[in-house]
Amino acid sequence: MPDICLYAQVHQPFRLRRYRLFDIGTGLDYFDEEANARILRRVAAKCYRPANRLLADLIRRSDGRFKLALSLSGTLIEQLALYSPETLESFQELVDTGGVEILGETYYHSLAGLADREEFLEQVARHRRLVERTFARRPYVFRNTELIYWDDLAPTVLAMGFRGMLVEGADQVMAGRSANQVYAATTAPSLRLMPRNYPLSDDVGFRFSERSWGEWPLTAPKYADWLHGATGESVNLFLDYETFGEHQWAETGIFEFLGHLPHECLRRGLRFVQPSDLARRRPAGPLSYPNPTSWADQERDTSAWLGNRLQDTAHERLYRLGRALRALGDQALLEQWRRLTTSDHVYYMCTKWFADGDVHKYFSPYDSPYDAFVAFMNVLEDLEQRVGADLPILLAR
Amino acid sequence: MFGWEFPPYQAGGLATATVGLVKGLIRVGIEVTLVVPFPVTESPIAGLKLLGSDQHSGQLTVHRVASPLMPYGGVLEYEGSRRSALGARHSVYGGDLFGEVERFAGLAAEIAAREPHDVIDAHDWIAFAAGLRARAVSGKPLIAHIHAIEFDRTGGDGNPEIARREQAGLRAADRVVSNSYRLRDLCVERYQTDPGKFDVVHWGIDDGTGSDEPAIGSSPLGPDTPVVLFLGRVTSQKGPDYFLEMAAKTARFVPAAHFVVAGSGDMLPFLIHRSAELGIADRVHFTGGLGGADLERVYRMADVCVMPSRSEPFGLVALESLLNGTPCIMPKQAGVAEVIQNAFKVDSWDLDAMTDKVVAILKYPGLRDELSERGRHEVSLPRFTLDEPARLTGASYRQALTMSA
Repeated sequence: MPDICLYAQVHQPFRLRRYRLFDIGTGLDYFDEEANARILRRVAAKCYRPANRLLADLIRRSDGRFKLALSLSGTLIEQLALYSPETLESFQELVDTGGVEILGETYYHSLAGLADREEFLEQVARHRRLVERTFARRPYVFRNTELIYWDDLAPTVLAMGFRGMLVEGADQVMAGRSANQVYAATTAPSLRLMPRNYPLSDDVGFRFSERSWGEWPLTAPKYADWLHGATGESVNLFLDYETFGEHQWAETGIFEFLGHLPHECLRRGLRFVQPSDLARRRPAGPLSYPNPTSWADQERDTSAWLGNRLQDTAHERLYRLGRALRALGDQALLEQWRRLTTSDHVYYMCTKWFADGDVHKYFSPYDSPYDAFVAFMNVLEDLEQRVGADLPILLAR
Repeated sequence: MFGWEFPPYQAGGLATATVGLVKGLIRVGIEVTLVVPFPVTESPIAGLKLLGSDQHSGQLTVHRVASPLMPYGGVLEYEGSRRSALGARHSVYGGDLFGEVERFAGLAAEIAAREPHDVIDAHDWIAFAAGLRARAVSGKPLIAHIHAIEFDRTGGDGNPEIARREQAGLRAADRVVSNSYRLRDLCVERYQTDPGKFDVVHWGIDDGTGSDEPAIGSSPLGPDTPVVLFLGRVTSQKGPDYFLEMAAKTARFVPAAHFVVAGSGDMLPFLIHRSAELGIADRVHFTGGLGGADLERVYRMADVCVMPSRSEPFGLVALESLLNGTPCIMPKQAGVAEVIQNAFKVDSWDLDAMTDKVVAILKYPGLRDELSERGRHEVSLPRFTLDEPARLTGASYRQALTMSA
């Protein structure tokens, strides 16, 4: 009988305005404060606060036997502090129950791991400081943006002091091996890899309210039976936190499901563990990820963010400018730039689902991926102009 | 079927749409008898046979009734068209547009009496009278096929008599086929038509147009010159004046850009004058109306096709442009915007937004290529072939038949 490792990602980006050609050079702020505040407050009311309350209650009632892990991006924590301090307190109260492990990640939920190793180190360090300041906890396990991982990243993550890392249990990587085991990174054997059990995770994350699904409605006893019937070291259920109340509305019964799940698991003899518990276990063997692998889509690769010419063009220009800004050392401009590294900005430019007219598959503040690209490029143009005459020299370095 | 435009007598997209519909209907096994008025001044055998000559080609019968009715004009345009017809020939035409519509309807009724048919399909108000008269003669159900209403053509109430006739035709019809949800809603709202009898059928495009072959001949402006295209009737409805204002703004950011206005219409003299005023006359090219290979060529030499229409009930130009691999900027309110994803959609009055998109396409090859490839792929999907609108139109016919049985 495996243990259960439940983890949820909490993130919101700083969305851009529909920044136009004619806004360049006018000093207009890049970020849509009104929209960001509105969306954050909506999600806080529908998801964060009710889920936090419920989880805190479940942890207390289980005498600590129910526990989980969360990671909160830096941009989310900033927005909570700005637009909904009471929700930030609610997260702090949840962590204070002692049943929540906080994981490390890039502050800006960025693709820096893929693009710029120096920037990656900086963003992870910033996130660690923010978590220590906000929750008085030090992260020991790392999860990269969208679970993106490949062999090349392991030594860097280990060198930053992390003991383990969450990864996607993608079929092409597992090649028949079980995702319900702890593995060792081939390029840094003392770093533990914990693969996500994607079928069981997606049963909750995607299929929970899908009436055409043969297993609908999914109840806590039924799901606990499935977990109980699984084999291996631990079933790793990794989800978006917004699953609870935002992706799956309260009306679907998702909170009732979550409310009953710990008890149903515990009475079947299942135990809850956290990523740092798993990181101390003996690995079942080495696991190699030759190519960047993520938890997104069928492809489980990085094509949702870097899969077309719009994204490649924007990404390349963004990180080129970043190196120039670091050389320049202007902290105010760097801060603006770092908010642009949030992966959501290139995600909005994804066209792969758009081709077949399936526009409802993802959420975007823009009318189309093309509009997302134009606004983003206009912002980069403005930022480059703000660097001024030194830019060509800095870019040439 | 009572239409009005049919090649080679073509002024705008309706001829293309009618050809497409007729082709598709025949392909899905529906026989079509088409009755169209055509302007004598443009005919090689102008106006000599007054009741039209019957031309049979396969399953399609085209009856051409000699008449100066023009599809897009209002009362004033009719006067001009009639006078030029009168200049060349003696006339038996009615003295005004509505008289002419009635005369067409009378002739159409005669044809309806002798041509066997199961349903009557009449395109827009100018053919509604013909459709109603035909129904009175044959007792077969009438489908009002609506492509645009007076509100679209004039941007306001327009001619009250035309509006009255639109309303009468729509309300009397057994079913209405509309080319967009927006037009359906407009008809329901402005003419209090029963929404329950509407079928929305978005247009498709002939898969024969837009080949994989490169267009014949290179761009006369040179291969590296950025080209922005306007294609359509040069009339207020299509917003060619917006196009010029956008061109002037774009030229500030991309001085090398050239602008092509392909089409003819009453605003041409104004536009030529205005392009000089804006200081871009050296970069604006007026080609007049284009057809055939020239049409394909002008799409392919363009980096982007802009549709700044004040009103665009459907917007076939967008499908043609995308099929030729040319990215498109279309009005948010266009019917085509309801079905196409891989294009920019803007408010036509929002010149800054339009300029923003045009400059981005000219500046970033990645954006242009992505739009080009994805757009072309999208219009190549089965739903945009001629068969799909024909199948849906056929379903509307059958519905009308069932209800009248």
